[in-house]
Amino acid sequence: MSNAPAIHEIYLLPDGVDKVVETKSTKIPNASTFHLEKEDHTLGNLLRAELLRNPKVLFAGYKMPHPLDHSVDLKLQTTADTSPLTVLQEDVNSLMRELGLIKKRFENEMTLHNMQSSDPNGMPYTVDRAYS
Amino acid sequence: MNIDHHSGLSFTEAGGPQIAIKEVTPTTVTFVLSNTDLSVANALRRVMIAEVPTIAIDLVDFELNTTVLADEFIAHRLGLIPIISHQAVHLNYRHECTCSPYCEECSVLFSLDVSCQSENAMSVYSTHLVSSSPAVQPYVDPANEKGVLIAKLRKGQQLHVKAIARKGTGKEHAKWAPCTGVAFEYDPHNKLRHTTYWHEEDARKEWPLSAKAVEEPAPRDDEPFDYKAKPERFYFTVESTGALPPTTIVTQALDVLMRKLAEVHRVLGGIAEAQGEPVVQPTYNL
Repeated sequence: MSNAPAIHEIYLLPDGVDKVVETKSTKIPNASTFHLEKEDHTLGNLLRAELLRNPKVLFAGYKMPHPLDHSVDLKLQTTADTSPLTVLQEDVNSLMRELGLIKKRFENEMTLHNMQSSDPNGMPYTVDRAYS
Repeated sequence: MNIDHHSGLSFTEAGGPQIAIKEVTPTTVTFVLSNTDLSVANALRRVMIAEVPTIAIDLVDFELNTTVLADEFIAHRLGLIPIISHQAVHLNYRHECTCSPYCEECSVLFSLDVSCQSENAMSVYSTHLVSSSPAVQPYVDPANEKGVLIAKLRKGQQLHVKAIARKGTGKEHAKWAPCTGVAFEYDPHNKLRHTTYWHEEDARKEWPLSAKAVEEPAPRDDEPFDYKAKPERFYFTVESTGALPPTTIVTQALDVLMRKLAEVHRVLGGIAEAQGEPVVQPTYNL
């Protein structure tokens, strides 16, 4: 086990390492690779799918270069009227709005559900009861 | 998806992803997430399993162990005990703390000191653990008030340990995962053909329909394959270990995912500024 990688390498960003690095393609116009450090398929696939729904995106794909490197490479090519960096910022933004909406609606549904399942004494049923 | 996210318009009240909660019990929540993409539903599932922080025993000092069980065996069992983790949000991760080796900002101390005096074998349960913090206790299922069985002692055997519980995520070790499982299902009639059913003669006779099949219309026999169709309804059941209430796991997972994206957005904004490219201002708030 002496050569086992330290477990914190999965999630801990070392000092002096950037979370995101953009490398512009020298061969393809309007194309960049974004190297996301300490991320995995959770964010890689989420961003790729969101980008592919954007009409300004000509290509979007991601890979995890090596199973022992906890990083994601996101390749992105856009139309000429914008840039990969701008498009990625916009799409991260719209994903945030979507997740925010899911959270808001989940909390609304929880309030509604708690009211509907009140017991005969009028006490709202809450899951926290088991924890009190 | 009916979200025009590139027009700059924000979501209308009616549009966007929908949530319908079907059932809530002390340890499970069943809900349907609809009108969103598979990648969003799967990201939520992955984060609930691996990235919602909880508290679990991580370091065990053995003062005395005369039981028949090896130290590391007991240490492993202690690690897997679910600990009520509402306080996890107020606790530092080990790497966030400058202390050495641990302090009360980043850990909770548990002690266990038992010895068997009687002729009968004595059972040691998670309820025998004494916590240094009243808010952080082993989770006890109402149906099993003694808690989790840790070890059995014969007359004269003793177990005295000091256990340090830390904050962590399921990514590092499964003992920190707040869910025992996340049931995740979509397209119960397999209209999208994301799977193929192995069969002897007739797949429809040999594979019973899932309970979710009543929620969606069954395909007609002569229905052509819709190659443009995308999954839209996702059936979730989140089962908690007891560390966190199941609904809290969902909301905290959404928070974790949003914080990840916010961090990427912040760094991208910095890169854009340095390169003189337009900086897209955030239109959300955490």
